Amino acid sequence: MAEPGARSWDASYLDGRTPTRRPVRIIIGQDGIEITPAEGGTSFRWPLRDVRQTQGFYPGEQVRLERAGSLGEALLVGDVAFLTALRAAAPQAAGAFHNPARRRWQAGLAVGAALAAVVVSLVLYFWGIPALAGIVASRVPVSWEVALGESAIAQLAPPSRRCLDPTRQRHIDDIVAVLLRPLPDRRYPFRVTVVDHPMVNAFATPGGFIVVFRGLLDRTENAEELAGILAHEIQHVLHRHATRAILRNASTGILIAALVGDVSGIVAFGVESARTLGDLHHSREAEHEADRDGMLMLNAAAVDPQGMLAFFQAMQKLEGTNRAAVRYLSTHPAASDRLQALSALAAQAPRPSVKLLPDYDWTDIRKMCPTANR
Amino acid sequence: MAEPCPRCGAAVAGERCPQCGLVIALYHASLEKMRRGPSAPAGGPTVPTAGPAMFRAPAPDAAAASPIPAATRRLQFHGAAGSLFGIYAVNVLFTLLTLGVYYFWGKARVRAYLLGQTELERDRLAYHGTGLELLVGFVKGVIVFGIPVTLLSILPQIYGAPDQVATALSRLLWLLGLLLVPVAMVGSRRYRLSRTSWRGIRFSFRGPMREFVGIFVVGSILTSLTLGIYYPVFVTKRQAFMVSHAYFGSRKFDFDGRGGALIGSFLGMALLFLPTLGLSWFWFSARRYRFFTEHTRFGATRFRSTVTGARLAWLQISNVVAIVGTLGLAWPWTVARGVRFYYRYLTLEGTLDVSDIHQDARAASATGEGLAGLLDVDFGVS
Repeated sequence: MAEPGARSWDASYLDGRTPTRRPVRIIIGQDGIEITPAEGGTSFRWPLRDVRQTQGFYPGEQVRLERAGSLGEALLVGDVAFLTALRAAAPQAAGAFHNPARRRWQAGLAVGAALAAVVVSLVLYFWGIPALAGIVASRVPVSWEVALGESAIAQLAPPSRRCLDPTRQRHIDDIVAVLLRPLPDRRYPFRVTVVDHPMVNAFATPGGFIVVFRGLLDRTENAEELAGILAHEIQHVLHRHATRAILRNASTGILIAALVGDVSGIVAFGVESARTLGDLHHSREAEHEADRDGMLMLNAAAVDPQGMLAFFQAMQKLEGTNRAAVRYLSTHPAASDRLQALSALAAQAPRPSVKLLPDYDWTDIRKMCPTANR
Repeated sequence: MAEPCPRCGAAVAGERCPQCGLVIALYHASLEKMRRGPSAPAGGPTVPTAGPAMFRAPAPDAAAASPIPAATRRLQFHGAAGSLFGIYAVNVLFTLLTLGVYYFWGKARVRAYLLGQTELERDRLAYHGTGLELLVGFVKGVIVFGIPVTLLSILPQIYGAPDQVATALSRLLWLLGLLLVPVAMVGSRRYRLSRTSWRGIRFSFRGPMREFVGIFVVGSILTSLTLGIYYPVFVTKRQAFMVSHAYFGSRKFDFDGRGGALIGSFLGMALLFLPTLGLSWFWFSARRYRFFTEHTRFGATRFRSTVTGARLAWLQISNVVAIVGTLGLAWPWTVARGVRFYYRYLTLEGTLDVSDIHQDARAASATGEGLAGLLDVDFGVS
C-alpha cells in the first residue's frame, strides 16, 4: 500500500480486448496518468480529461477508471487512497473523481435524503397534487368532460336498465330546469337517468350526467326531496369533482410509481390502500361542498329546503334498520353532521318558497320503472 | 449451505470461519497459487493479436488468465443493505424533485451498484448503462407503443364508434400487446447484457427477435390448449433461447435442457397446490431454477445450484413480511439478501479458461428496455 501522498500506485490494467488482468504501476501526473506494465513493456499515458471513474464509491469497492471512447479499457486500483492522491495532484480535475473523505457523511446523507423524500411526498400528496388537479380540472374543456361522461354512463347505466318513461321523465326534467334557471353557467347539458335497481343511491359523472337509482326515487316523498338530491349532484358536476378525482388519481399513481418503482407488488398494494383512504378524505370534502352549494342552489331557485332535510333524516333512520340497502350514506358523509350544517343554511332560505310540480301527484313517479309496474 | 472450514473443520456460513478466523476464499486462492507454482507457464499459445502491442511479455497476470484447473467457483456479492438504502433514498428524493425524470438515472445507479458488487475470480462485474439511455428508450417506447395504444383505446369511445368496431379494435390491441411482450423481453435482454462487462469484456445477446416471437406465440397458444401442461416446455424453450444466444465476448453460453423433464414436477406441484396452500409452487420454482442452472454451460464450465424449495419459500416469504412490516423501508435489505441468497447456492464447476476469448461487443438500443418498462414485463432470466 502506498502512502496517501504517493504519486506511484500498484494497479491492474484491462486492455479491453481480452479478459486478462495485467499488473501495472501507475504514476499520477499533472494532467494524466502514466501506466507502466509491471512485466516490462512500453509505458503509455491516459490524459485526465479522458478518464472517468465508474467504481470505487462504496466501502470495499476497488477504484475503477475507464477511458472515454474505448470499450472496456480500464484501470483497477485496490487502494481508495489513490483517489485522494489523484485529487490532490490534479486539483483542476478533482471534481470528476469521488472524494473518499466524504464517505463518513454518506450514512447521514442517506438518512437525510430519506427524510426529505418523505417530506416531499407528503407535501405533494396533501397539497401539490390536489392543487394541481384543481388547476388542471378547471382547464379541461366541457366537451371532453361530456365525452368522458357519455362513455362512463354507457357502462354504469346500460340502456337496458334505464327507465324510459317520457311523461314521468318530463317531471324530473322540469325540476332540473327550475334549479338551473338562476344559474349563469349554462355550459353543461344536464341529463338525469333513472336506473331500474333497488339501490338507494345517486351519482353524477363529469359532463352533467346524473344517475338516480329506482331505490332512491321510490323513497322520495315529494318533488322537493328529489330537487335536493339533484341540486347536490349538479354541484358535483359544476365543481368538476369527478374530473378532479380522476386527475388526482392519475398523479398519485405517478407519485406512487416514483416511490415504489422497483418494489414488489405487495408494497404497491399497501400504498394503494393508503391511496383509497386519501380518496375518501377528498371525497368527504367534495360532499360537503356539494351539500353546501346544493342548498344554496335550492335557496336561489326558491325551492323549499325542508325537502332535502327531510330526505336526509329519512335516510338516517333507514340506515339504522337496513344498512346494506342504503349505499347513499356510505358514499356520502355522516348524516348527523350533514343535517346540522344543512339546517343552518336552510334557515336562510327565502320565503315563501315555490311549490314544485303543484299539479302532480308525486307518488306516481314510483311507477316510472318497469319493475314497479309489474 | 454450510461447508466445513478447510483448516479447522468448523461449519462456515459466510466468507470467514467463525472458529479460526480463516478467510475461505483467500485460503483457496493461496492453495491454488502454491499448486501452480510462481512461474507457471501461461499454458497454451496466446492469441498473437490479443494483447496490446505495448506489452512485451505474452505472459499475462498468472492468477487471472492462465487456464485454471478444475475447481468450484462462486460468485460473491459484497453489497451492503446500508449503501443500497442510501442509493434508494437519494433516488426517491431526486425522482420526486425532478417530477420523475431522475427515475432512469436512479435505476442505472442501482444496477451499477448490484453488478459492481458482484465478484467472480477476484474481478468485479461492471455496468455501463446510463440514465439517459434508459430515458431515451422509455420515450421511444411511449412513442411507438404507448401513444398509439392509448389513442386506439380511447378514440372509439369518444367518437362513438359502433360496438363491433370497438370490440375488433380492442382484440387487435390485445394481440399487439401479446406480440410486444416477447419483443420487449428480447430487447431488454439485449440491452442489459450489452451494458455488462467482466474484466473489460462485454456480454452480448444475439438472439433473433423473430425466432423468439415465434416461440412465445406458439408456446402461449399450446400452453392454453393443453390447459397448462405445456407450460414447463414453454418456459424451458424461452430460457434456452435467452441463454444459448448470450455471449461473453466471443464465447457463447450453451443450454441443453429439455422442458419435458419438468412436466412431472409441474403436475406434482399443481396437484399439491391446494393441499399445501400454494407452498408447492416454491418447490417447483426451486426445481425449475436448479434445472435451468444445471443445463447452462459456458465453455467447459457448468453451472450448478443447490437452492431448495424450503429455502426459497423462506427467503421470499420473509422478504414480503419484512417489506410489509417496515412499509417498504426494508426493500434494500431484501434486495441484497436476495442476491446473496442465489450466489450462495450457485457454483461454477469445471475449468474456466478465458484465454481465447476476445472482445466482441454488439450495439443495442434501450428501446426494448423502455418497452419492457411500459408493459411491466420482468423476468427471472439469469
